[in-house]
Amino acid sequence: MMIMGKIVAVHSYKGGTGKTLLSINLAVALAEHGKKVCLFDLDFRAPSLATLFKIEKSECWLNDYLNGTCEIDKALLDLSDKVHNSGKLFVGLANPATEAIRDMSAKDRKWEMRALGRLLALRTSLLNDKGFDYLLMDTSPGLQYSSINAIVSADLVLVATTFDRSDVDGTRRMLRELYDLFEKKTEVVLNKVLDASSKAGKEEITSKVNDVYQVPLLGIVPCFCDILKAKGGIIFAQEKPDHPFTRILEEMAAKIDKMA
Amino acid sequence: MSNQEIVGKRPLQVLEKIRENLERLNEKIEVMIELQKHGRKDLQPPLSDAPLDVMTLLSLPDHLRKTAMTLCRMGRATANEISEQTKRARAVESAYLNQLVIMGYLKKERNGRKAYFFVDRESQG
Repeated sequence: MMIMGKIVAVHSYKGGTGKTLLSINLAVALAEHGKKVCLFDLDFRAPSLATLFKIEKSECWLNDYLNGTCEIDKALLDLSDKVHNSGKLFVGLANPATEAIRDMSAKDRKWEMRALGRLLALRTSLLNDKGFDYLLMDTSPGLQYSSINAIVSADLVLVATTFDRSDVDGTRRMLRELYDLFEKKTEVVLNKVLDASSKAGKEEITSKVNDVYQVPLLGIVPCFCDILKAKGGIIFAQEKPDHPFTRILEEMAAKIDKMA
Repeated sequence: MSNQEIVGKRPLQVLEKIRENLERLNEKIEVMIELQKHGRKDLQPPLSDAPLDVMTLLSLPDHLRKTAMTLCRMGRATANEISEQTKRARAVESAYLNQLVIMGYLKKERNGRKAYFFVDRESQG
């Protein structure tokens, strides 16, 4: 049997729940495990990967690929030199220029339908032909076209959430009224948790999450001041291999890798 | 070719034609049955070219969404291929697919005896 790669979308109801932090560090953690990984910034409203990877120019952006004006190869940047072993890491970026953001938010239904077709085609072009093990998609929060396109294209959706009340309510609604309709395999990542150190605390959180969301919990990420101090300048999974945050992300990556 | 063979082939061709027509008739009846079952409210006034985008997918009734989603993933497929994915009967998928064609979301193309359904993403407009 042929082993096929997997498409993972990272989404959330509200902004600031840690999607991008999660996406980057999961991508790096999987690459550090020797996987061939591709990370996409599909947050066309507020692109961030270009800044976080300190890339100013790209021959092509994902905007161009979705517009049908360039092939996917040209939109991929090889960052494998950031990985310590034989793993590979490529990124596809959203164009951070204001004009490009404006252009992307004014697309019509027909365009969005074609964009979905191009995202679906990546299963053949990236996973089958180029042998990528993972394609991770960082998305915009909420019910955005680009995000729902990513969810429909994905095999697994990770939902980043916090204990913030409006986030809990919105996430719950979104899981029922969006994800269930698409019959997507979904797991929740609980971020910025204050009392996650004790075993009893973790168990309580796990059962609470199961109760509220009725989907499996992939992991609990405690609130780390180190992450705030880094101001987005450090990719922990790459630069701080011994940090507890990296350990937690590695555990999540291993869990994802074990899923059928 | 002997005379007997030619004579022997004729009825076969006729039968083949009858079978083809019966299959088409069947498909039409299946659509009508489905329309009865779910009521006409599912059916917007026929659109010739409606985009099957994700928001449209969300607004479809559950039974049609499953079929439409599967076809989106496969790109182009017969009712039989769709039914293998959805684990529903071929006749059911055939009815749903034809209904989606009537609604303007899918296109249908015949290739010999097989009918292929697809999402027309590249048409202009």
